[in-house]
Amino acid sequence: MTEIAPDHVFQAWHFDGKSAVRRPVDIQAIGNDFYLTETERRHGPFAFADMTYVGEQNGAHVYGHDEIDGWRLGLRGEIPGELSGLLPPPRRYGGWIDRLGLGKASITFAVISAAVVAVVLFTPQWLAPLVPSSWEREMGDALVGDFGGRFCSTEDGSAALAKMTHALDDNPEDLQVEVANIDMVNAVALPGGKVIIFQGLIDNARSPDEIAGVLAHEIGHVRERHVMQALLRQFGLSIVLGGADGTGGSLLNGALSSSYSRDAEREADDFSIRAMRNANISPAATAGFFRRLSRLDGSDQPDQNAARITGYMSTHPLSGERQRAFENSLEEGKQYAPSLTAAEWQSLKTMCENDPDVESGFGPFD
Amino acid sequence: MDDYSSRSESAPPPAKPPSAFQFHGNWQDFAKIAFPNLLLTIVTLGIYRFWATTREREYLWSQTEFIDERLEWTGKGIELFIGFLLVFFLILMPFAVINFISQGLIFQGQEALAGLIVFLLLFAIFYLTGVAYFRALRYRLSRTYWRGIRGGSDNPGFFYGVSYIWKSLAGWLPIFLLVPWSSISLWNERWNRMSFGPHMFTSNAEWTDLMKRYLLFYLVPFLIFVGIFAIIGYLGATGALQPDGGELDPGAGALLGVFAIVVFVGFYILIPIAALMYYSKFFRVAVGGLKLHKLEFDFTARSADWILFFLANMAIILCTLGIGYIFMPYRNWTFFVRHMEAFGEINLDELTQSETTRAGHGEGLLDAFDVGAI
Repeated sequence: MTEIAPDHVFQAWHFDGKSAVRRPVDIQAIGNDFYLTETERRHGPFAFADMTYVGEQNGAHVYGHDEIDGWRLGLRGEIPGELSGLLPPPRRYGGWIDRLGLGKASITFAVISAAVVAVVLFTPQWLAPLVPSSWEREMGDALVGDFGGRFCSTEDGSAALAKMTHALDDNPEDLQVEVANIDMVNAVALPGGKVIIFQGLIDNARSPDEIAGVLAHEIGHVRERHVMQALLRQFGLSIVLGGADGTGGSLLNGALSSSYSRDAEREADDFSIRAMRNANISPAATAGFFRRLSRLDGSDQPDQNAARITGYMSTHPLSGERQRAFENSLEEGKQYAPSLTAAEWQSLKTMCENDPDVESGFGPFD
Repeated sequence: MDDYSSRSESAPPPAKPPSAFQFHGNWQDFAKIAFPNLLLTIVTLGIYRFWATTREREYLWSQTEFIDERLEWTGKGIELFIGFLLVFFLILMPFAVINFISQGLIFQGQEALAGLIVFLLLFAIFYLTGVAYFRALRYRLSRTYWRGIRGGSDNPGFFYGVSYIWKSLAGWLPIFLLVPWSSISLWNERWNRMSFGPHMFTSNAEWTDLMKRYLLFYLVPFLIFVGIFAIIGYLGATGALQPDGGELDPGAGALLGVFAIVVFVGFYILIPIAALMYYSKFFRVAVGGLKLHKLEFDFTARSADWILFFLANMAIILCTLGIGYIFMPYRNWTFFVRHMEAFGEINLDELTQSETTRAGHGEGLLDAFDVGAI
């Protein structure tokens, strides 16, 4: 520590934090302390260690005191060498960034951010299977319950649905497949192994094999733990990008999660193709279903059905690739069996009609 | 005596002082802060924006001179960040969970219960918005220093949140006709709880001064609709709208063009102008009613200033493909300072330190609800 002779004084201005009077003062440094002297008054002693850098103001460096609210000391121009070692250094960005420099700090932050996003994007794949099934089931029950009584059930129809599910999956016990009496062409997989097929999809289907393809696809989501993964990923992204405000964050969020949902769709399709091969169900009908969907591309909606079908497209982005995958899995000359008999198909199709105590529609939105 | 008016030797008041508020900064210096801020905000996925805001305010405040001394912003990025975290974990997350539950309830057919929950949720947000307005003003005053003295308030603003609800509702209830009353009354209530140094602010703005402008703003949409219906009526009467497959009468074609112009001018030009005219009057009335001890304030921006201000902002943002957005804090602050005036006198000996508490967190709520206030 430089020893400063007591007679070494520097001119400055001072606010004592008690009143708004500006005081022209001399700084009189003695060791690690200093006094501020006016013509008839002496303030202090103050410790250099209590000084904080406040900022630059009109060409002056301004310092504050840790303990005294509003205490200010202003020094115009360059800080004299004797004082600069004792006073805190000027601050630009603050803390870490000043220490690293803007360039290095930016790169460091960018690397950390990329790592955090990578963790949020990739770990759900490993974390999702660790979530106990019982938790997931409870969550699904809390979310869906009995769907407001909209699940259809008749003896024959439920049996047909169960037959289809058993054909497509080895452990159908932990699945809950339901048909909901809602006029939407869609199907969803929800937490806890719940698969819901909407009545609109069944009305629109030309054969039970189409339903089998879509059902196997949703079972694929369940078996690959996509639902939990998506929940975890969405949760993580919304926390990580919570700092970003408004549109930037949500655009990034949407882009990142949708790229994952495309991968998930492909995996579910692969599962569906395998399941249908094992069950000896022809994939041709499902390919045909995709072909019908892909013909409706928003601009060209010839009938009312089209508008409802776009519901499926919004959650299951379509591509010719998906249709071809199902077409290519068709084995020439193989004897496929229909997934349901004509009678079973009929009872599945009319299950909602014939269920006397089912609710219809979609609550307040219908 | 430290009375400012008597301190002529240190700061001689000119014959006609331009304004008690002077801004000494320039946009080039601001750019040196704003561009690194943008970079750091991007690489930190937005987290840096609290520190970015703080650095910008430090610059803007330090370049603003009130009478003879610069203002000083002493807020910290961490305070805004903590405010944000508080909002995120105490408000946004629970709200997201409640929202999730209420969606589950809709699925399960409990629409009434779900509706009630959503209603309570919105009501809570409404209340917290009021509290947020209050606390943001309190935070800003408590971090603003002039001559080592700061402002603040000891009121936590929870009661103000209640006033915010009932006064807003009372303003909307008579077909929105009492909105000027509710906004001026809330402005007065907010400022009357604030102080600077030892002095309380007093705010006595009169809402009745606003009514003429408000009615103008209120009537413009009706006048536009009347115009639209007059043209439709005329077209209907002349049969131009009959789908008889015949050629459109050229006169009616011209009228359709006029119709389109009326709609466009009405919605995109007249309504915004009427809104700005009201806003401009609101600020003049509201700031004009504000006093601090022997100081009176005035805001001099007139409608034309506001319109030019917004047009210039839009031009800056459009011509820079959006990058100019980072200069908006600079534009807003300089517009505000350029038009602020203060009259009267300050006794510097009497202007002693504020005794109010300094809340340790920033404007998180206001930030979260995406509202701004002076």
